[in-house]
Amino acid sequence: MTPKLNLLLASVAAATLALPAMAKDLTVDLSGEPSSLDPQVQWNPDSYYVYRNIFDNLVTRDNDGNIVPQIAIAWEQVSDTEMLLTLRDDVTFHDGQKLTAEDVVFSVQRITDPEFASPQLGQFNQIASAEAVDDVTVKLTTDGPYPALMAQLVKLSVVPKHVVEEVGAEAFNAAPVGSGPYRFEGWDRGVSVTLTRNDDYWGEAGPFEGATFRAVPDAATRLANLQAGTADLVVGLDSDGAAQLEGQGDVKALSAPTERVAYLGMNLDKPPFNDPELRKAASMAIDNLGITEGLLGAGEVPMAQLSSPAHFGYAEGIEPWVFDPDAAKEIVSAKADIAATPATFATAPVFDQRIVQALQQMLNDVGFNVSISVTDMPTYLNIVRSEPADNAELSFGRWSCACQDADGIAYPLLHSDSNWSRVNDPELDKLLDEARVSLDPEVRQDAYAQVHQIVRDNYYLLPMYQAAVLYGAASELEFTPTANESMFLNRMSWSE
Amino acid sequence: MSAFLLKRLLQAMVTAFGVITLVFFIQRLTGDPTALLLPETATQEDFEAMRSALGFDRPLIEQYIAFLGDMLRFDLGRSYIQNAPVAEILASRIPQTLQLAGGALLVAFAIGLPAGVVMALTRGRAISRWIMGVVLACQSMPTFWSGIMMILVFGVWLKWLPPSGTGTLAHLVMPSIALGLLSLATYARITRSAVIDELGRDYVRSARARGVRTPRLVRRHLLRNSAIPVVSITALEISQLLAGAVIVETVFAWPGLGQLTVQSVASRDFAVVQAVVLLGAFATIFANLAADILYSVIDPRVRLGGQ
Repeated sequence: MTPKLNLLLASVAAATLALPAMAKDLTVDLSGEPSSLDPQVQWNPDSYYVYRNIFDNLVTRDNDGNIVPQIAIAWEQVSDTEMLLTLRDDVTFHDGQKLTAEDVVFSVQRITDPEFASPQLGQFNQIASAEAVDDVTVKLTTDGPYPALMAQLVKLSVVPKHVVEEVGAEAFNAAPVGSGPYRFEGWDRGVSVTLTRNDDYWGEAGPFEGATFRAVPDAATRLANLQAGTADLVVGLDSDGAAQLEGQGDVKALSAPTERVAYLGMNLDKPPFNDPELRKAASMAIDNLGITEGLLGAGEVPMAQLSSPAHFGYAEGIEPWVFDPDAAKEIVSAKADIAATPATFATAPVFDQRIVQALQQMLNDVGFNVSISVTDMPTYLNIVRSEPADNAELSFGRWSCACQDADGIAYPLLHSDSNWSRVNDPELDKLLDEARVSLDPEVRQDAYAQVHQIVRDNYYLLPMYQAAVLYGAASELEFTPTANESMFLNRMSWSE
Repeated sequence: MSAFLLKRLLQAMVTAFGVITLVFFIQRLTGDPTALLLPETATQEDFEAMRSALGFDRPLIEQYIAFLGDMLRFDLGRSYIQNAPVAEILASRIPQTLQLAGGALLVAFAIGLPAGVVMALTRGRAISRWIMGVVLACQSMPTFWSGIMMILVFGVWLKWLPPSGTGTLAHLVMPSIALGLLSLATYARITRSAVIDELGRDYVRSARARGVRTPRLVRRHLLRNSAIPVVSITALEISQLLAGAVIVETVFAWPGLGQLTVQSVASRDFAVVQAVVLLGAFATIFANLAADILYSVIDPRVRLGGQ
């Protein structure tokens, strides 16, 4: 090799190495484009991954899951139903206007207005009123004691009153103006959304001058984009995809347990699962460890309660499920005629069919007669929310309330008032009601511990595991996945 | 000519009306879209509120009449999933689909036509069978596989082309080939049989007797006379390319109508599905109409309207 060529190669190498230090823009591949960039309309990952960076929320969660200040720097429960929030006074929207208490009040009123019909209404409709006490103080009044208020406010983005009122909802959605670390740059429909850094941000804005969120529906294509270097962060990886990334120097897989809890739901009004003994047999037939480690392998954690360590209300000391197919067979064979009642397992393509099939196999191995019925999502939702008589015998779900509070999962799935629930247990109802309105964390924690124990003892449904989320990333990207599946650009960086 | 056009237009309207009516009712048979809009934790009251906000609580027939009224005013409605007017969504997707369909047609034409001619001229010889084998292999490869393979080879390993997305000509290459391969075989086979038909005719024998060489014969006579079946196939292929690009568009993250259709059907985005189906119906109708008109240009023996 000639000295000249050596020199050339060396300079090329130097230039290549120097690239990360130049704060390259970030490209993220999502599975779809945002449904809305108005943070008060649609609430799904493809949307909030993007708009969370354009807007600030009242409060947020740090990477460890603690609720920490964002727009609100302090909050105080002044009575059972009143919360006083103190706001930062140094926040400006991207158009230069100052963010005031009026904007916060407007944001609360807008999302809780039934006329506005936000899909997120159910998360905030316990807020009865919001009023600005002064420029930096807001009083929120709930329609009863509401312990999960702050957990819900983590998701409340503050929108600028003057802009929304001036341009209207549709134009605001097409070109949102927030106060967050990144400002909206452009939306190429069906293709991508681009953001640029807000250099006037009150906090840490992050290292990327720009970021592009692209819609790439096919998981294999997202992986290829990552490997080709045209994407720096991709979502929706499975463990096979993660295994592909192993041993490749310039890419890596990142995983974190989420606040989603997977469970097997059973119809308590119909045979065979109206029999507690047979439900117990079902619990013993399921190899939870085999499913989480063998089948999924993305860092899922087996659970025997409808909560995870990422939730308030998670109870230590709930005994794990016992995997004992022989004992299960024994129970089933004693009640063979009931156990052989044909049971339908309702599911939809969005659920991991490997798990559904594994569950069917495991249950049938001990003597149940389970058949899978796959329908599309709306049909599935209709089935599982219908009356017990029309409901399927089995269903598999992965729930998240995006509030990291046991109430968000346990209440809808276990309380007799909820149309998701197939349980009708007055004691359980009493505990769930108590925990829902008590402002004393100890009382709530104690109630949920009892709830989990009752579910465990009666096999009302079978919690299975805490789901994990997997991302693929360029190896020089520093990113900490969190339980609430956030994707804050200002918490990422390029490593040196 | 104009009477013919008018008749075809009327037929088109009736067809389109039938299509949208079917789509309107079939979609609503399949379930409630609000179930997908709201989080799992939503209560029954939340569902009722959402339903009434979107107008799904009204009687079906009332919804249908309102829908027909909108159609008459050329109002395609609003997507409650994408939170944007349907016309705007379609407008952003149509150019992408046309680009891809154009690219695919180009691939299919540029390879399929010569392959067909060569196969016809070498009929019975080994080379003809070889070409047919390759052509059929191209058609038989599932797109989700060939697409991913192309991405891996040209996007990830060789890094010659961007693995997915849109924006430049380089982005168009792989999706066009993936989609074009499907139509290529059709073109090759149709061209082959059309040219073989023509080869047996008297004028070809006379031309040969006059000493016209094969390349000139193909260019001057055979291609033009074999063009009619190729044109009618193109009309069919265009509607296929518009509607059938679903997998290619998904694999290559190409933001065309196919991808939009799948996503809208899956999310019960009624207004978008209706509009796409309507568009597809019109595209098919007009592609066929255009083919009819083209026949008369290519072959003066074809007279429109039975004159």
